[in-house]
Amino acid sequence: MGTSSENILEIKNIEVAYNKVILALHDVSLTVPKGKIVALLGANGAGKSTTLKSISTMLASERGEVTKGTINYDGMEIKKQNPSEMVGLGMVQVLEGRRCFGHLTVEENIISGAYSRKLSRGDLNAEVEKIYGYFKRLKERRKSQAGFTSGGEQQMIAVARAMMAKPKMLLLDEPSMGLAPQLVAEIFHIVKELNEKEGVSILLAEQNTNVALRNADYGYIIETGNVMLEGSAKDLLNNEKVKELYLGISKGKRLNFKDAIRDSQRKKDDAEKKPH
Amino acid sequence: MNESVLFFFEVLVGGLLSGTMYSLVALGFVLIYKASSTFNFAQGAMVFFAVLSFCGFMEYGMPFGVAFFAVVLLMILVGLLTERLVLRPLMNQSEDTVLMATIGLGFVLEGLAQAKWGVEVRKLSLGIGDFPIPWIADNLKLFISALDLTAGLVAFVMIALLTLLFKYTKIGLGLRAVADDPGAASSIGIPLKHIMLLVWSAAGVVALVAGMMWGARAGVQFALIELALKALPVLIIGGFSSIPGAIVGGLLVGAVEKVLEVYIGPYFKGGIEAWAPYMLSILFLLYRPEGLFGEKIIRRV
Repeated sequence: MGTSSENILEIKNIEVAYNKVILALHDVSLTVPKGKIVALLGANGAGKSTTLKSISTMLASERGEVTKGTINYDGMEIKKQNPSEMVGLGMVQVLEGRRCFGHLTVEENIISGAYSRKLSRGDLNAEVEKIYGYFKRLKERRKSQAGFTSGGEQQMIAVARAMMAKPKMLLLDEPSMGLAPQLVAEIFHIVKELNEKEGVSILLAEQNTNVALRNADYGYIIETGNVMLEGSAKDLLNNEKVKELYLGISKGKRLNFKDAIRDSQRKKDDAEKKPH
Repeated sequence: MNESVLFFFEVLVGGLLSGTMYSLVALGFVLIYKASSTFNFAQGAMVFFAVLSFCGFMEYGMPFGVAFFAVVLLMILVGLLTERLVLRPLMNQSEDTVLMATIGLGFVLEGLAQAKWGVEVRKLSLGIGDFPIPWIADNLKLFISALDLTAGLVAFVMIALLTLLFKYTKIGLGLRAVADDPGAASSIGIPLKHIMLLVWSAAGVVALVAGMMWGARAGVQFALIELALKALPVLIIGGFSSIPGAIVGGLLVGAVEKVLEVYIGPYFKGGIEAWAPYMLSILFLLYRPEGLFGEKIIRRV
């Protein structure tokens, strides 16, 4: 953790409530250094999405509110801004569940990402071509209606669209959701490439702890609205608690599906052997 | 050509052309439906408000073009105020809430219009008569009203302009994005308020044009509001979110109601024109609820 000029995002002790009564975050603090990838990990309902939305100010549209603490982004405090102002400041969120414009073509989806920028036709085309350089698969499907593309392609569209706004910081909400492992790997590879070549800082919320930590620099684990654990991605991957609770590896023997099935089969057999 | 065949064509063409008037009204509904997924109950009142103001400005001695331009500005102002005072406070509320608000807005607009301009029926002359065009009557033996034909052409031009706007401009792309997913659109920095302002202003201008066409035929009066509701079966048949749907739906309703009135009407002692479109729309609701051109809901399983 360095001084604030090295960090693009600093969140200090925020509390978030929905409808003024439902407390979603109790006390979350986290920092994203410039040019790094930070993973926000936790189970369903832990508060990952809420954290991201309070940064991008999308929270207001779900009647949520930051009730305590501060969020500092790129040297300014985030308070009353709205999402389109945040996009103007270089902060773009890729929402959970991809949310492509289904009736628009793949290319129209990508172009729509540059809506907030004033670009000439030529510049716009150059930018689109550059984005296709990262997302080669999308170039082949540029004329298809986005609603009919596969889940992995839709996730790529969502990230490509966000990149068209030329963000300094990208918030990714569960890019792996519902995708085959191979596609997850492909998407994380692209994200890492964007981070390295475009210098965009990334905060990503994930349930897939393993993939997230292997691609991130730093990680936070949150549970029921509190940060439980933080550390460098490497440390977290080797942390015994993380292994047991989030990576499904318990001390000594590996607890995998085969073991689990054998376990449950044994219990069932025992139950049947019991005399009625 | 055989007399009875000729007569059928006359009925059909008359129906199609009067259908373009329905298309014009339906177009206003489609614009707002696309951007906010809400049926705008105030559209009829907007038609009334716009054309009544137009008549009022003409009575002040404004020339035709100036009065038209003034009402266009007025309708943009209405769009601006609607966005600021009604839509923005209701942002993130359910579509039903917005629907109710449009009903209220309708009452406000029709009240304002009548408070300012009075309640008497006005005549609006566009310099185009509602009588058969002699050249067509002589050469093709078809009796087609000049007003119908003008309305058809005007509808065609407006539709072409709007289609180009949506398809090829940046703000059109923004509008289609908002129509698909307002949340995702705002996440990439498309300002919803600009899009809302655009569609409400465009719907206002469409309301003015539709009102002028209807007003020239039936007089500028309160009943225009009810006439505008004929757009409902048009939209159900054509599809709520589709501009081509509004056109085809309008034509179909116009043609079907005239043909049925003339050929089947006598068996019901006439007057079936008033309910035939609604019957047709019930059939559509049963067998093709998204309408002819409505966007099918694309859902990945």
